[in-house]
Amino acid sequence: MQKRVLITGNEACGAGAIAAGCDCYFGYPITPQNELTAYMSRHMPEQGRVFVQAESEVSAINMVYGASAAGRRVMTSSSSPGISLKQEGISYLAGSELPAVIINVQRGGPGLGNIEPSQADYFQAVKGGGHGDYRMIVLAPSSVQEMYDFTRRAFYLADRYRMPVMVLSDGRLGQMMEPLRPGKGSKSSAAKLPPKDWALTGASGGRPKRVVKSFFPADGTLERHNLELEKKYNLIRRTQSRAGEYFCEDAEVVLAAYGTAARLCREAVRRARAKGLPLGLLRPVTLWPFPAARVKKLAARARAFLVVEMSSGQMVEDVRLAVEGRVPVAFYGRSGGGVPEIGEIYRRAHRLLREKAQGGSQDRGTVS
Amino acid sequence: MSTVSDMADQQVKPDVYKSSLKPVWCPGCGDYGVLNALCQAFARLKLKVEDTMIVSGIGCSSRLPGYLHSYGFNAVHGRALPIAIGAKLANHKLNVIAAGGDGDGFSIGIGHFPHACRRNVDITYIVMDNQVYGLTKGQLSPTSPDQAITSTSKYGSIETPIDPIRLALGCEAPFIARGFAGDIKHLVEVLVRAIKHRGFSFVQILSPCVTYVGKQQFIEIKQRLHYLDQDPEHDCRDIASAVKVINEQDVISVGIIRCHERPHYQKKLAKLNKAASRKKAKLEDLLDTFRP
Ligand SMILES: Cc1ncc(C[n+]2csc(CCOP(=O)(O)OP(=O)(O)O)c2C)c(N)n1
Ligand code: SF4
Ligand SMILES: [Mg+2]
Repeated sequence: MQKRVLITGNEACGAGAIAAGCDCYFGYPITPQNELTAYMSRHMPEQGRVFVQAESEVSAINMVYGASAAGRRVMTSSSSPGISLKQEGISYLAGSELPAVIINVQRGGPGLGNIEPSQADYFQAVKGGGHGDYRMIVLAPSSVQEMYDFTRRAFYLADRYRMPVMVLSDGRLGQMMEPLRPGKGSKSSAAKLPPKDWALTGASGGRPKRVVKSFFPADGTLERHNLELEKKYNLIRRTQSRAGEYFCEDAEVVLAAYGTAARLCREAVRRARAKGLPLGLLRPVTLWPFPAARVKKLAARARAFLVVEMSSGQMVEDVRLAVEGRVPVAFYGRSGGGVPEIGEIYRRAHRLLREKAQGGSQDRGTVS
Repeated sequence: MSTVSDMADQQVKPDVYKSSLKPVWCPGCGDYGVLNALCQAFARLKLKVEDTMIVSGIGCSSRLPGYLHSYGFNAVHGRALPIAIGAKLANHKLNVIAAGGDGDGFSIGIGHFPHACRRNVDITYIVMDNQVYGLTKGQLSPTSPDQAITSTSKYGSIETPIDPIRLALGCEAPFIARGFAGDIKHLVEVLVRAIKHRGFSFVQILSPCVTYVGKQQFIEIKQRLHYLDQDPEHDCRDIASAVKVINEQDVISVGIIRCHERPHYQKKLAKLNKAASRKKAKLEDLLDTFRP
């Protein structure tokens, strides 16, 4: 096993990409992900691979589109305002069924917002930020180790399903330092994947020509294409949804949170358990596909949910959909760069536990 | 241009145009010089603060609107030009100035530049060129010199830099000038001429970044300055003079490089609208052509 290193989340993400065999990286500076672009500018050339600082995020995502069509493992990264600019390209990648890895180190919005950590791009990531009927696998790391592991895994998933995959991180995870054990973690070996027999590699040798496109103008062809996409998306829904559970077995109130918010919730659960309070945490690892079945299962025995986000309430909608009104779903969020406080998570969870004990059932949808 | 006409004989103090906000630029940043020169130019032109609008992109330089006491619009990275054009076309009376950095204008926003030049809306565009991305902490810019080592070009840049003056000339910008943040007196003259120009005027201001390029940027520029207003051979109405400037090697010319009056967009638009309105269609009859 390799030695541990102390590294920022942004750099871990770059290291994960290089370990996964990322051939090309195209970026554009934006805080709080600049360490990632800087890391790639230093280390991609060392590996004889391609690093380009594009002239904009629009340019970067289209360089990704081209490199992916040529059959290469390719990645781009940015933070919220830049990810907005990439939406057109993401839609085209999805429509053309091309693999690509996109890293979003989220910051506060809307607009230029600020450079503080945020989780306000959940809707954009999981509900289709670009136009058209498409989906994107979205992975949510919550540690520096996972920034590395999930980036590696993103390359594997992108190639396996021929689609864009996003790692949805935030400024806190990107900038903080933690020990990382490289090489550990998920499989990303290209060996198990099918050959890229769709890639534009030059048609010498008389093989039929290949066309990469997202344009299907002839009557009925787009609908047929979209039905094929839907089949693929359904397979992913069935097989790829992931979530972590922490003290959920006997939890009466279940916290639901991802990424940085999940780290804070974990601490709140630890404190509650130390006092014997039945609190648990469900941490979605894939935001799309959303682990709805897990939520549903927990809703059958828990008495309430408390969703915690660094947003004004986005993932909470998916939790409510999955809970289907069986139990109350409360929400605690901080927006605009605010970070939920562990004490406040604990207090709100405690209040729900007490209310439950007294048989109350109010749905507190408050944002503070 | 909208000016303080009732104060025709009085002096206007440059400080009138300064906001109460204290700039957060690093000590020694060239952008201080630009702010001072702009206030002096406004004072010289007696611009009304309430009729003046500064639109910027995003960057250290794009913080400028916050430090001016006028309408300020710290807008979108790379989009100062279309936003400024929109504002000017919506309100012809505004004195509209677009401002930003080299990254803002010549990287992400470069697509808008040729169109601003050819559309020729009566606005002024100033680019504070420090050859680096300041705000995001020192990355490669499209105006960074060949071989430049920055946080995203660890082994030296391998891309040919853009020369904004050459670009503007190629895009047929009607007014092209260059100033230096280290010579405020000269910069004021340049800005006054640019704002007075009827049509799109472009000013590249060499505005050093002491933090990510270093103090020597000031010294190196200063040593190479060549003042066009003192050059008897230079004629800004003659394109050959401008071509000479873009081909110069050892010196850096500052002053009015090109000035070529041609009818600006609003003027042409007014003419077009007048011709179209001769048909005198009434609002309530607009849908008549669709009636059987
Ligand atoms: C869409 C988008 N991408 C990236 C950024 C991050 N960003 C802010 S300013 C800037 C470049 C600044 O460079 P420049 O325009 O030269 O201004 P300077 O700071 O040097 O004055 C970048 C990349 C952003 N705000 N929005
Ligand atoms: S980083 Fe450079 S451009 Fe920005 S304020 Fe400091 S000196 Fe000026
Ligand atoms: Mg700059």
